[in-house]
Amino acid sequence: MNTQDSLPLISLKNIGLAFRQGGLSLTPKPLFWVLKDISFDLYPGETLGVVGRNAAGKSTLMRLLAGIIRHDRGSLINRAKSIALLSLQAGFVPYLTGRQNAILSGLLLGLRRAEVEARMADIIDFSELGSFIDQPLSTYSAGMRARLGFSVAYQVEPDVLLIDETLGVGDEEFKEKSTAAMHARIQSDKTIVLVSHVPGTIRNLCNRAIWIEEGITRAQGDVVDVIQAYQAEIKRRHGAAYVLRSAET
Amino acid sequence: MSGELGDTVNQAGQNDRVAHRDNVWTRVGRILDLILYKTYADLRAEAAKTYINFLWWIIDPLLGMLVFYLVFGLLFQRGGDGFVAFLLTGLVIWNWYRQSISHAGSAILNGKGLMNQVHVPKIVFPLVVLLTDLTKFVVVFVLLLIFLLLSGLWPGISYLALPLLAMVQLMLIASLSLALAGLVPYLPDLRFLADNLLQLQFFVTGIFFSVRDIPDQYQGWFYLNPMAGMIEDFRAVLLHHAWPHWERLGAVAVFSLLLLMLAVGWIHAHDRDYPRTLR
Repeated sequence: MNTQDSLPLISLKNIGLAFRQGGLSLTPKPLFWVLKDISFDLYPGETLGVVGRNAAGKSTLMRLLAGIIRHDRGSLINRAKSIALLSLQAGFVPYLTGRQNAILSGLLLGLRRAEVEARMADIIDFSELGSFIDQPLSTYSAGMRARLGFSVAYQVEPDVLLIDETLGVGDEEFKEKSTAAMHARIQSDKTIVLVSHVPGTIRNLCNRAIWIEEGITRAQGDVVDVIQAYQAEIKRRHGAAYVLRSAET
Repeated sequence: MSGELGDTVNQAGQNDRVAHRDNVWTRVGRILDLILYKTYADLRAEAAKTYINFLWWIIDPLLGMLVFYLVFGLLFQRGGDGFVAFLLTGLVIWNWYRQSISHAGSAILNGKGLMNQVHVPKIVFPLVVLLTDLTKFVVVFVLLLIFLLLSGLWPGISYLALPLLAMVQLMLIASLSLALAGLVPYLPDLRFLADNLLQLQFFVTGIFFSVRDIPDQYQGWFYLNPMAGMIEDFRAVLLHHAWPHWERLGAVAVFSLLLLMLAVGWIHAHDRDYPRTLR
């Protein structure tokens, strides 16, 4: 599945991205560089894992790839037709029915109105909401909302799918079902970028991995090597107990 | 919505290329789908929040206008023949203007949660608000026309100018709304300034008085406020079967168009910067 002979779909070179502090100030406030030096390529059909500690810049990187925010320096070449972050319950409004929310969320995720309508039967079917689909969202339980959110987001099939931690959602039963669906999609020939703090998930699902630390790509390549380097760093910083704990999960 | 909307990811590097992507019409179609459905959804959601739903679109403006009629028509005895029609025409147009600007002005700011989840062209947020307010205005405007008919003011040939007049009014509203919406995320304080400026503008626009009521030497200044001329034109067409003041209308149209292009360009240029500012 790893087609590294072809051109990369997305190619990042020395990417830097800073956040500004808002508000009036006499002296210019210093920029806060969330991403300092990120470089990697994403090839068609592969599943790339991203590991890194909290606040390493993983989520910011995903939002940059999704086209939500732009970078300040470096170059980003994008040959993909569409890139989307798996966003659950995007744009949900409590006063509307499940069906109306499904359409709205589908439109926000980049589908055309007709496309969402055509997939409505699948959405209702997968979410197992039945006639509840025409009830206002405010009458839904958290679990039902999660079902609907996942079922809509699952209909969107971009060239590159970005997944930030969430694989399965909802109650016990639906979690199993949605996780299985996500695994099936990841293992298909889709191009995926998967962020996870669980090394096991990355090891099981990814062809290649990158490790990000304080906004810098510290390692990339073979999954086992990258995770080993990542865990060695954690061990150096936190001691052995932390590694044991994170290996269990 | 993601990478397929707006141009690519680039800013810092100049040589970046993009291979095949959706053509511009597919993109426009996608955005239109979103704007129209979001408008429909917002109107439905707003109605669903209250007990008598859509009736509020009629009752709310009616109550508002009743207050003005009580204060200026009865209490201050500003009446005279046709004062109610004069007052209502001014208020209907003014309320459309004020509500649109004050709602749309914070639309991008209010979209911060959503714009950090998915890529939405930021222009969508104020456009949706402008469309919902336009829908409510149309309802109230139809009521106004019915009221004028019942008061014996039949439509004349000058009604032909109404679509053009409404179009220029919409452009003026849209240009100011988008300019405000584009700046508010960087300067949230502007909202309060804008609210107070609108309050001031209300009193100098001549809603409950006409230009003849102010001293001659100030009448030139009076028309520097575009809304003063617009409301006078609406009254000319609806109440006096006269044509709008074409040069003044043209000037407002040109001003609005320029500001509109500037505002749209500004919002587009900051499309991927708003989510970084509004976290």
